[in-house]
Amino acid sequence: MSALTFEAAVASTLAAESQRRGKRLARTLIWAAAAIAVLWFSGAQIGMNPLALVKGVPFMADFFSRMFPPDLAHLSLLGDATLETVQIAVWGTLIAILLSIPFALLGAKNTTPHPIVFHATRMFLNALRAINELVFALIFVSAVGLGPFAGVLAIALHATGMLAKFCAEEIEGVDRGPIEAMQATGAGRLQVILFGIVPQVIPAFISYSIYRFDVSIRAATILGLVGAGGLGFSLIKTMKLFKYHETATCILVIFVIVLVSDWVCARIRARII
Amino acid sequence: MSSVAPVLAVDGVMEALAARKRWRFHHIALAGAAIAFLVWCAEGVGLRPKELAGALPAIGEYFYRMAPPKWEFAEVLWKPAAETLYIALWGNVIALMIGLPLGVLAASNVTRSAALRNAAKAVLNLLRSVSELIWAVFFVAAVGLGPFPGALALGVNFGGILGRLYAEALENIDNGPVEALAATGAGRLQIIAFAMLPQALPQFVTYNLYWFEVGVRSATVLGMVGAGGIGFELVTTIRLFEWRETGVVLLLILAMVTLIDLASTWIRARIYG
Amino acid sequence: MNTPDTQRKPMISIRGLSKTYGGKGGGGVLALNNISIDVAAGEFLVILGPSGAGKSTLLRCINRLVDPSEGQVFHDGTEITAHRGDLRAIRRQFGMVFQQFNLVKRLSVLTNVLTGRLGYRSVWRSLAYSFPEADKRIAIECLARVNMDHKAFQRADTLSGGEQQRVAIARALAQQPMVILADEPVASLDPKIARQVLGYLREAAQELGITVLCNLHQVDYAREFSERVVGMSRGAVVFEGPSSALTDDILHRIYYREPGEVEKDEA
Repeated sequence: MSALTFEAAVASTLAAESQRRGKRLARTLIWAAAAIAVLWFSGAQIGMNPLALVKGVPFMADFFSRMFPPDLAHLSLLGDATLETVQIAVWGTLIAILLSIPFALLGAKNTTPHPIVFHATRMFLNALRAINELVFALIFVSAVGLGPFAGVLAIALHATGMLAKFCAEEIEGVDRGPIEAMQATGAGRLQVILFGIVPQVIPAFISYSIYRFDVSIRAATILGLVGAGGLGFSLIKTMKLFKYHETATCILVIFVIVLVSDWVCARIRARII
Repeated sequence: MSSVAPVLAVDGVMEALAARKRWRFHHIALAGAAIAFLVWCAEGVGLRPKELAGALPAIGEYFYRMAPPKWEFAEVLWKPAAETLYIALWGNVIALMIGLPLGVLAASNVTRSAALRNAAKAVLNLLRSVSELIWAVFFVAAVGLGPFPGALALGVNFGGILGRLYAEALENIDNGPVEALAATGAGRLQIIAFAMLPQALPQFVTYNLYWFEVGVRSATVLGMVGAGGIGFELVTTIRLFEWRETGVVLLLILAMVTLIDLASTWIRARIYG
Repeated sequence: MNTPDTQRKPMISIRGLSKTYGGKGGGGVLALNNISIDVAAGEFLVILGPSGAGKSTLLRCINRLVDPSEGQVFHDGTEITAHRGDLRAIRRQFGMVFQQFNLVKRLSVLTNVLTGRLGYRSVWRSLAYSFPEADKRIAIECLARVNMDHKAFQRADTLSGGEQQRVAIARALAQQPMVILADEPVASLDPKIARQVLGYLREAAQELGITVLCNLHQVDYAREFSERVVGMSRGAVVFEGPSSALTDDILHRIYYREPGEVEKDEA
């Protein structure tokens, strides 16, 4: 390249760069303005008020002081509730795992028997996912009575929705090659699913199930708020009785359970993967 | 290939196969322990096949009572529904503001000082372990009833969750560009800004989009403790046994979540497509 | 141009096979254009041609993974293309070997080979992921034929490319098929391994009397491993004869033909 054309090339690229930068800046500014507008509007609607937060500090401090120190004697009473929380999470997740397998197969484009079944399943799963465990619990407490049974069902249904949708997406994303090979050997539909799809999907499914168990423990700790068993009940009871020291103990126990469950789940995931 | 050698080889492998399939003692012990554990959990929550069989029609009956939905009730629901979305939005913003700095500090490849790192991790753990509902109760005490404490509660809880996810994303980046930049003599902050954050950014966005969806679902129940959103209407209609109104609320929640889901998928396609 | 072998009834007979993808009414892609081939029993036939020539489509029309638009395929006298309904019985007669091996990565080598027996087993038994003893014996024998029985319990994704393809060949053999369809089986392997794999394929087929249709794009392998070659280009057969007859002229016709030259070559 002669010196002249080299200079020309460099100059034209510089000009192009400044043009692109200008356009990008304009675009960023527009998006930023839109975002700020949305945030301002919604913030006003819900009364976002940093000042109020600052003013609320003394209230928070008061709250803390009433809870501190936690009444450790109360721990002995919480033993049963703690166990119940774990039991709810265990069976809620287990039922979800069992139910999500058929629903995942029905809700995946490559394994569903019919488009209508596919769409109906997807809609049903969306409904299960959209509704919070607490809401389910509230309804089920009316239907089957107070206590942990309602809690198990609530967790099971919501977790089924989440697990099944996740699994369905995994099934849709499998490597097609082995599937074709399986079809070529003359295997039937079910056999292709069992030997071609399931082995590819299992690691992610197990990993997500364990994650779901972790989430279920968290949910199970507060189900008691609506009378569906677990630690939440002690929590709300002590608060309503103004026994904040005992409330603090409850919160402490919840904190510890979640931490332990977290750690256990992480270890199991590491072992399996 | 002589015909004797293959036969011997085949027999050898058949024997090895049979040996692998035999049940060892520790397999049986493990299976037994697992079954015992599950039975104990089931007893603890009152889960019996008879109960389960009875639960389904009972639940079905309640959902049956929700039909046909009382559509007029939707009139009073638009404002709380919008409020729910704003809570989720601001909750996410606050979560970002809290989670990003803490997450960056908690990443092992960003922060040299183990003390600082562990402190950040501890704070994040505290924030995420306590359920957003409990935080909501706390913030309601601090700043009064309404959606504002709801957004704060969501922000604080999700800040902890997102912060840890950000830290993991940062720790998982490709080290190549980091090394390359260090070789050019760039300073620590510059390396973080130009080599680490840009790599982790797509993951950050994915997490934020996903947790915004989760946030909407969580925000639907914050009203139960007076922290705004549609939760208050929901709980009220259930407590008053106004099932047809409850149906409307549930459908509205379902619609909201589905819309957010679609929007989120669209955004993801735009960013990554 | 029939060699003496095909005077007896051919194992596979293809007549006027055509396949158009998409765009009915002239807009589609013509993948196969009026193909007619006879394959003798026990023969190792190589179908030679560049990528895009339609070789894969041809093979898949034989075991009905793809349905042809026109034409007929006869297998041992029966017309396959006319068969409606369950294709399992047809497909298990044809073992298939793929370019990407297509083993199920997380399953063991032995289980992968056992999946070759699925076409013979009832669906319900498979649910328990268990196979009868007889099947296991067949599978291990097939593995022994390709010298992979010592790795029977390893996970498929721990093997090298050549080893995986040998296991894939064992899977095809486990079907006890009359025909093996090999679609570019060595395209992803380097020359020494490729020759080894083709060697196993040919040897096993010869010992068991299996007919092999092997797609290849490498001329050397075609010359080395088969006596008869069918050359394909742009969906049409442009050569059929002994591999010794692969002159430069003919190779040019196979590999460098322009679209407009189709009519000129219909000699």
